Amino acid sequence: MSTYFLRVASAGNTSNSVRPRKEKRLTYVLNDAGDTKHCAGVNSLAVLKSPATDGCEYLFTGSRDGTLKRWALAEDGATCSATFESHVDWVNDAVLTGSNTLVSCSSDTTVKVWNGLSEGYCIKTLRQHSDYVTTLASAEKNSNVIASAGLGGEVFIWDLEAALTPTSKSGDATEEDCSNGVNGSGSSLPMTSIRPISSGNNISLQTQSQVYIPVTAKGHKESVYALAMNESGSLLVSGGTEKVVRVWDPRTGSKTMKLKGHTDNIRALLIDSTGRFCISGSSDSMIRLWDLGQQRCVHSYAVHTDSVWSLASTPTFSHVYSGGRDLSLYLTDLATRESVLMCTKEHPILQLALHDDGIWVATTDSSVHRWAAEVRNPQKVFQRGGSFLAGNLSFSRARVSLEGSTPVPVYKEPSLSIPGTPGIVQHEILNNRRHVLTKDTAGTVKLWEITRGTVIHNYGEVSFEKKKEELFEMVSIPAWFTVDTKLGNLSVHLDTPQCFSAEMYSADLHIPGKPEDDKVNLARETLKGLLAHWLAKRKQRFGSQALANGEAPAGKDVPTRNLTASKIEVDGSADNDAAVYPPFEFSAACPPSIITEGSQSGPWRKKITDLDGTEDEKDMPWWVVDCVMNNRLPPRENTKCSFYLHPCEGSTVQILTQGKLSAPRILRIHKVVNYVIEKMVLDKPLDSLNSDGAAGVSGGQVTHPANGGDGIFRTGLKPWQKLKPSIEILCSNQASLIP
Amino acid sequence: MGAAGSKLEKALGDQFPEGERYFGLENFGNTCYCNSVLQALYFCVPFREQLLDYYSNNKSLADADENLLTCLADLFMQISSQKKKTGVIAPKRFVQRLKKQNEIFRSYMHQDAHEFLNYLLNELVDILEKEASPTKSDQETSSPTEKNANGPTSVHDNGDKKEPLVTWVHKNFQGILTNETKCLRCETVTARDETFLDLSLDIEQNSSITSCLKNFSSTETLNAEDKFFCDKCCSLQEAQKRMKIKKPPHILVIHLKRFKYIEQLGRYKKLSYRVVFPLELKLSNTVEDADAEYSLFAVVVHVGSGPNHGHYVSLVKSHNHWLFFDDENVEMIDESAVQTFFGSAQEYSSNTDHGYILFYERVPNGSTS
Repeated sequence: MSTYFLRVASAGNTSNSVRPRKEKRLTYVLNDAGDTKHCAGVNSLAVLKSPATDGCEYLFTGSRDGTLKRWALAEDGATCSATFESHVDWVNDAVLTGSNTLVSCSSDTTVKVWNGLSEGYCIKTLRQHSDYVTTLASAEKNSNVIASAGLGGEVFIWDLEAALTPTSKSGDATEEDCSNGVNGSGSSLPMTSIRPISSGNNISLQTQSQVYIPVTAKGHKESVYALAMNESGSLLVSGGTEKVVRVWDPRTGSKTMKLKGHTDNIRALLIDSTGRFCISGSSDSMIRLWDLGQQRCVHSYAVHTDSVWSLASTPTFSHVYSGGRDLSLYLTDLATRESVLMCTKEHPILQLALHDDGIWVATTDSSVHRWAAEVRNPQKVFQRGGSFLAGNLSFSRARVSLEGSTPVPVYKEPSLSIPGTPGIVQHEILNNRRHVLTKDTAGTVKLWEITRGTVIHNYGEVSFEKKKEELFEMVSIPAWFTVDTKLGNLSVHLDTPQCFSAEMYSADLHIPGKPEDDKVNLARETLKGLLAHWLAKRKQRFGSQALANGEAPAGKDVPTRNLTASKIEVDGSADNDAAVYPPFEFSAACPPSIITEGSQSGPWRKKITDLDGTEDEKDMPWWVVDCVMNNRLPPRENTKCSFYLHPCEGSTVQILTQGKLSAPRILRIHKVVNYVIEKMVLDKPLDSLNSDGAAGVSGGQVTHPANGGDGIFRTGLKPWQKLKPSIEILCSNQASLIP
Repeated sequence: MGAAGSKLEKALGDQFPEGERYFGLENFGNTCYCNSVLQALYFCVPFREQLLDYYSNNKSLADADENLLTCLADLFMQISSQKKKTGVIAPKRFVQRLKKQNEIFRSYMHQDAHEFLNYLLNELVDILEKEASPTKSDQETSSPTEKNANGPTSVHDNGDKKEPLVTWVHKNFQGILTNETKCLRCETVTARDETFLDLSLDIEQNSSITSCLKNFSSTETLNAEDKFFCDKCCSLQEAQKRMKIKKPPHILVIHLKRFKYIEQLGRYKKLSYRVVFPLELKLSNTVEDADAEYSLFAVVVHVGSGPNHGHYVSLVKSHNHWLFFDDENVEMIDESAVQTFFGSAQEYSSNTDHGYILFYERVPNGSTS
């Protein structure tokens, strides 16, 4: 009974109120480059040195594209061996702990724990933060402790073992099931069986009891951008826009000290293995070395000419590598203050990771490079010359670089590259509301068809603006989706009910075997295309008869809702239900991912081909399920649009109609022409018509009370009539048609 | 009134400035908001001179088409051309015109002097812009601004396409603020410029103009639900935003926000806070390297304890003498008396005369202090 209540409640707030509360949205992320490359900047790096089984070393990368990838490293290259896809926003940081546990944090406010050697299996999603989680820290010799911090000054210290202990919460299990790895089939621990099949009946409300709560380090008034923990996990340092380094006891979350000195945001922190020294990198362009025992800054190094965003130290803490906004990677001897420029990049440096005799460098570009580095004997680099003495005032380096004595980098080329694909940085939704023009970081301009998620034209490096003008079409279709590019790919957002506002004639979409007047709803067909795999899996799982009457096993509440809200769309005939039309067939080679959220847990992301059919209204918005399975669309206030047909100004043709005309929201212009002919030619004797051919019927305004004037007709119609029934319809003097 | 005039003349003696006129303005019933601002503008010498220049070049125009600009020019002309050195003038035409044009000022209610100043300056700009625009299409007709090419009023007149017209009102009062936003993720700074004719400053108890200006330029963080969409990051990120003065105006008008809406009371309340305004002001929060230096020449003072009643008077510095204008009355005061208008450190004080609008004129660097 409790289940029934829960489900009705979640549906009730959407269907009963006149002005529904904001519904959950469905987003799909397009992809044209496959699954083996990042398509946005790389925020985090982690090297797995102690191979568990196969003797292979791995690099983990976490990207702004929302995914993490595992790269199997060989002498001559790196191959993507797994994608960890579950975060729905930028992955901001990732750390490895224990033998193979990967922990990542994201702007989606979650921390996720993964089996690093799996095919992308997410063990747990930790939802404690309320804003972006920017940074993580692990303790090298205490695999059980992880700290996470983020915007709003939130700092949490997790006991991983306790956090991962499965509770009896079936709700939690369902969530993990749905946010479970991309390559779910190959996952080492398939979780699908945990989900109760007929989801409703065995979920009860009282299982929310034992929830693990992490230790909170309270005290930051502002956002945290950097964290570090010593190897035993007894010392935690944090830094952020407050410009101070705070030192905590992670076991209790209590403050131990506060170190002042930086004059801007603190973006990177390191602690040495003993926990005595701390190095910080800041947006004030300085690197500082702190003695935590003496609670003071022992050295400040003016090495960079702009913000320092990342630090990595040699094992003995004698030297530090630093990278930042000035595109430069430096190596600095902390004792002698000697600095040397290792290399310069084309993009600001976001993250560094030392690995044997190399250093991995991640930037705002989607590629990652390894550069040669002297980890064991860094002094060697200085012997080559070209070093300089770091000053201790922030402007000293800026001044030096202004004076033109820019150091020459030690290395010109990386020793290894992991290429990414260029991310999309600019986009324009075209008037036909099916095509989106994009430009990526490489300057390539592409045209996407978002109803099937593929690139239909690659124009190469051309002017985006010119191409946009070139592709301009005089059509008006309601805005049924929105787009953003924060993940480096096109993310298409569908929100109900506005996403169901656009229709097209089947004939115009070249869908064969349909009556001339057959229309399809673009969002419905797109959703069907996106969820075709899911629907097929669902049929396999629950049998086809379960779907025959549009009734899913999990959809017991649907008829209830139907009474209050849904209206069966009468436009579509019953037979067009399941088939996915070619213009809405999504690629299986580069399947898009969907990002959505149901009535339980939080948002999740998965490739459409990895959906296993168990996902239901707990995981997806009810309106999506209702649309795809039951062919029900939300009711529309205005299914008709009205317009006026007036004689053209200055013409002598009689007025055909006094009032407004009413039509479906899309209407073929020849129907209007037919109407005019009928009225003018057939109703009247021919000789009453003006014979000089110049007379016209004047047009009036077409108004769209629905959706603020979105429609096929925008403003005006001006039919012209000649002796031989030849009629021109003008729409705002711009679009015309002579039949 | 003759007595008052002669008293002032006596007080000044042979120090009475050559060619200067000190005339009170008659009050037509709650028009002190107008009188106090008009006196401050009259003693804003570059503004007055340019207005009189405009008047002498546009006599014919003024007859044909009366507007606030011609009425103001007319009034200033009337004052400056008086035979007597002191006395009282009735700004009748100007006030009539104002009431005719804007219903806000039509009633006999107490009006806000800053609102009036703001309306007047914007109206003057509009009129000048309107006058200048037809001259672009027909260059032959005498343009008020273009004809006067030798004067300092000459407007940027080569009919530039999109450039907004810079009138002599702009040249006096307009400054540029720049709104800098720095994304805290990629640290890219985006700057947007906006123009201003006066600066409205929030005030605090026991503060100074310098500290109020500092607060005005202080950094605001866009965070939590109010993040900034960074074009570089293509996403919402935290950002820091601050206002800087990019181009300090020649005449800096500072409006102290003494009338504050108090939610609990459901009405406006007057803040009688003590806010020190120096006679010489250095503007340090500018984008330019050098500080801009200013000298105080006029103060519009609000007298009274509440926002909806009270009185406006003005203090004016003319030829190194401080004068006190209270509608018809004009008196000489000592420079040290200016500080009695700073406000009070206690909430309830018998002194209810508080500086409300401050007029500073920029002076060449180094000439102050």
